[in-house]
Amino acid sequence: MASIGSNSSIQEAEVPVAHADIVVAIAAYNDVRTVGAVARAVRDGLATFFGSHEARILLADAGSTDGTLEAARGAVGDTGLIELQYQRPAAMSGVLYHGHPGRTEALRAIVQAADRLNAKACALVDASLHSATPAWIERLIAPVLADGFDYVSPYYVRHAHEGLITKGIVYPVFRALYGVRLRQPAAQEFGCSARLVSHYLEQNFWDRDQASVGVDLWLAVAAATGGFRLCEAALGIRQPPSRETPADLSTTLAQIVGALFMDLEDRVDVWQRSRGSLPIPVVGAGPEIGPDAASLNLERLIEAFRLGYRELREIWTWVLPPRTIVDLKKLSEAPLERFQFDDRLWAGIIYDFAFGYNLRVMPTDHLLRSLTPLYTGWMASFVLQVRNATSSQVEERVEQVCLAFEAQKRYLISRWRWPERLR
Amino acid sequence: MWEQVDRILRQATSRIVDQVADFLPGVVVSLVLLLAAVLFAVVVRVLLVRVLRGLEFDRRAEQWGLAGLASWSASSSPALALARATSWVIFFMGVLVSLTALNATIPSRLAMSVFEYVPHLLAALMILIGGGIMARLLARSALIGAVNMRIQSARLISLGVKWLVLLVAIAMALDHLGIGRSILPLAFGIVFGGVVLAAALAVGLGARGVVSRALEEQLGESSRVDDKVDHV
Repeated sequence: MASIGSNSSIQEAEVPVAHADIVVAIAAYNDVRTVGAVARAVRDGLATFFGSHEARILLADAGSTDGTLEAARGAVGDTGLIELQYQRPAAMSGVLYHGHPGRTEALRAIVQAADRLNAKACALVDASLHSATPAWIERLIAPVLADGFDYVSPYYVRHAHEGLITKGIVYPVFRALYGVRLRQPAAQEFGCSARLVSHYLEQNFWDRDQASVGVDLWLAVAAATGGFRLCEAALGIRQPPSRETPADLSTTLAQIVGALFMDLEDRVDVWQRSRGSLPIPVVGAGPEIGPDAASLNLERLIEAFRLGYRELREIWTWVLPPRTIVDLKKLSEAPLERFQFDDRLWAGIIYDFAFGYNLRVMPTDHLLRSLTPLYTGWMASFVLQVRNATSSQVEERVEQVCLAFEAQKRYLISRWRWPERLR
Repeated sequence: MWEQVDRILRQATSRIVDQVADFLPGVVVSLVLLLAAVLFAVVVRVLLVRVLRGLEFDRRAEQWGLAGLASWSASSSPALALARATSWVIFFMGVLVSLTALNATIPSRLAMSVFEYVPHLLAALMILIGGGIMARLLARSALIGAVNMRIQSARLISLGVKWLVLLVAIAMALDHLGIGRSILPLAFGIVFGGVVLAAALAVGLGARGVVSRALEEQLGESSRVDDKVDHV
């Protein structure tokens, strides 16, 4: 068995090859049910589409105890798999929304291994995504090898009620601030070039506190702001990850939005200069899916928003201006059929929270968790508007939300530059 | 005889004059110390107000949950209230120091006993301030958590947490000051135990349905769909 030594560096004597054109890494943690299928998809994808290239499959396992390693070996064969040995966390450090402890260390080890192997293209897939197919590997790698792209982001077709933190917060903010229309910037899969791998190794976010939950997003930001060529690969329908995670909505929201706001603080000089946004090429096309089969209890979501307005209004006043509170009051009194969260109001709220996070007006965990009822209200409003829509109609609605975020960007810049003026 | 009376009178007068002469420097020193304390208190107050305003203490105090400082004084500004309290403490210390300068037994003993008590007072004050901040933080955390769990009585839970922490802080502070040392823990134990018992009875007898529904929502199969949805 070839292995990559501790501290994520390759031990030359133990590695049969010192070079690989393509590296595909699988990040796993207790994914015995799905890792076999994912590993087979990777193996078949490499054999089918890149048979003439020297390719290696890396496995970054975070210390699974359920037989994930054996399942992966069984699927690929002992000789086809390089198991990365890296410093794993001693214990599960709190609840993580993706349920993958030591994800930062795993990704860092993968990037370092790809760099040592002089790989021209590197791709990462998560072992919990049982919907992975061989075609995914082709879509993530081919744009790098054939078309010279540096970063290939997955673009999934998803139901209206799925990925709403991405649709309503992460993508609009990412797009408005960094000027790139990357629709799933916090995705756990991507493809990248050797040039970008080197760039990643120079980044200083690997050892940051929130890296365990923010690293996926920060890698996308580093690619978008580093002058690299980006594209999206249509990977079709993404089934929800199989990995069980105890994270509730509030924790997930706080972790994702916290990572976004933290990055935003670090790149003030970048996003204050950028104007508008540009589309990026999409490789392939995803299927059109119809309206949602699963239904959320919108009445309960709206009731959660109303409860939040009643009880957390005082906390919100620390970051939200009075006119926003008045708008929220009107919204809390609206009946279900007329419950509509205005896009500009929503964009303003997210920017106000970002600004409040920057000022540390209260413990950041309190601030981020107090956003949950507002998000619940927005989610109810969004689903109410698109529950009978096709996937392309949902896309159009997301586009409107993004335009509101772009329009409100000036407001964020003003608050950031002259905090006293708008207090 | 008149000579003897005159001699005794002179001796008495001399003793009184001597005693006054002995006592007078102490009075002068005492007055000087008092004046210095007043001046120092005024200077500290003015400086403290400026520094605290420069640091936006009023706004920060509101965020830390110390806005109540202002309600203890006539001013509406926590910075002003803190500056006034500090200046009065300095003045009081000045009075005690000036009393010791008089070289009188009782005032000196009083001053010394007060000075010995000061560390306890300061410790109790720190406990109260720390407890107040902790109560505020935990109450807010409980409120946000309960709202996110969609518990209708979130405010009640938050208030319960706040007063529980405050009561513990007050009990600790009083214990530190040596007030009601034997009665206080007993009373606190009775009240706290009573609250827990009452809550247990309420849950057991009156709110079984509510609790079982809440547990069902949290642990059971009917967990909220929106928590199960993939949000990222």
